[in-house]
Amino acid sequence: MMFFLRYVMRQASQNIRGNLFPNLTTIGIIAISMLIFSTFTLIAFNLTSFLKIWEDKIEVMTYLKKETPLKEVESLLTRTRQLEGVETVRYISPSDAMTFMEVKLGSQRNLLEGIQPGVLPPSLEIQLKKEFRNSTKIKEVVSRLKQFPQIEEIQYGQEWVETFSALVHILRLTQWILGGLLLVAMIFIISNTLQLTVSSRREEIEIMHLVGASPSFIQVPLYIEGLIQGLFGAGLAIFFLLLLHKGFFLYTPPSIKTWLAGIPILFLPPEPIARILLGGMVLGIFGSFIASMRFLRYSE
Amino acid sequence: MIHMSHVFKTYPSQIAALTDISLDILPGEFTFIHGTSSSGRTTLLRILFGAEKPTRGEVIVNGMNITEKGFHKIYQLRRMMGIVFQDFKLLRDRTVKENIAFALEVTGHGGEEVKERVSEVLGRVGLQERERDPILALSAGEQQRVAIARALINDPPLLLADEPTGNLDAQMTTDVMRIFTDLHHKGTTIVFATHDTDLIKRYPYRVIYLSGGEKVDVKTDEEVRTGE
Repeated sequence: MMFFLRYVMRQASQNIRGNLFPNLTTIGIIAISMLIFSTFTLIAFNLTSFLKIWEDKIEVMTYLKKETPLKEVESLLTRTRQLEGVETVRYISPSDAMTFMEVKLGSQRNLLEGIQPGVLPPSLEIQLKKEFRNSTKIKEVVSRLKQFPQIEEIQYGQEWVETFSALVHILRLTQWILGGLLLVAMIFIISNTLQLTVSSRREEIEIMHLVGASPSFIQVPLYIEGLIQGLFGAGLAIFFLLLLHKGFFLYTPPSIKTWLAGIPILFLPPEPIARILLGGMVLGIFGSFIASMRFLRYSE
Repeated sequence: MIHMSHVFKTYPSQIAALTDISLDILPGEFTFIHGTSSSGRTTLLRILFGAEKPTRGEVIVNGMNITEKGFHKIYQLRRMMGIVFQDFKLLRDRTVKENIAFALEVTGHGGEEVKERVSEVLGRVGLQERERDPILALSAGEQQRVAIARALINDPPLLLADEPTGNLDAQMTTDVMRIFTDLHHKGTTIVFATHDTDLIKRYPYRVIYLSGGEKVDVKTDEEVRTGE
């Protein structure tokens, strides 16, 4: 077994060194394709992270009818707390709302002069359980809240959540469609490079067949070659993506930085990086498998 | 060692390369397959080492029915035989030793075993002194001896040779034929395809004559010796 491993590794490295230019070209093309795919992955990852941060802050504000008696408010609080998905409910009286607005306005609180707290409606501030902080689940809670006659208006940033979710969805879809096209292109490129390798070693492979080399001795070095191409290509893509990520912070104009304040632009965590590297290797092996299927029919 | 029964081979272009060939070759036998070009002798050999599948008929080599449906272990068949060609089929960018060792390495052998066996087969073909020489530094006869050494590396019971003396002059042919006859005396079964009638006359072994893909005559070694 050790002899076999040593043999296939030595043979694969000889193949790469013997066909350096086609191999480097393939690695470069894989790197570019994987970079495009990884960039989409990084953007989608950041938007998803942002969406998650925003979803964690999501709450439902229900404004009650002004004439709602306190007794009914108490019963409404109890019934709201019993709703599925509700974590906490806080009653905000008109005077609490006025205090909140004064704090928010800070030095401009004089704008509120002459306004009586009575003009502000009482409200319920509802925090949802984590698993309910998404557009579908919020709608379920909201539709139940709408059945309470004391509630006049409900606000939960619905439009924003839906638009942002749709954007992330479209981005993910584009990523996978593009990924699929790049996948086909990469398999085609890898298999063609390996066909060049196989052609240049035709004599040697013919002799291997004649002396009784098993298919694994002939094909595994080619798979290893594809695996190395895929790994190096994907590794280069990750490296360039890291440079792009660093460059984004170095060369972004201050105005955009201000606009982005508070939004973390993260690099990919280890798990997706490992998946991209693994994907590169699997692609490499698959490309070599196709090349060997075309060229190494054993009976020839 | 070899059993062929009603073997036909027709190529997709409808050219019949072999027509109803039946023959048996016993273990330890030396058999010439004689025929001019297009006689089907190369096709017959290619069927024996599994490079071609017959259109019809049964072929059994050393107990393996290679025409059986689902037979895929051609590499196992080839490990029990040595094959020698007119054009040597050597790796021109390697040395004598590397060419021979290659056949062992790609069949899963390594280390001291390779050194010992390479040295031993080079002794059998008289090329011990040339093991470090590049292949292109050797004469045609020497290159053919390297090819024979490579074919012998797994100590096969069967040796197939397709015109192995076709590119050699008279002296080189004699040298190469000496190796084949030595192997025969040591018990190796040899199937030797040639178009050379003079060669057959000099080495009185059994001959199967092919013409136009058909077996037209068979002479036993006794008949060849007595010139009948």
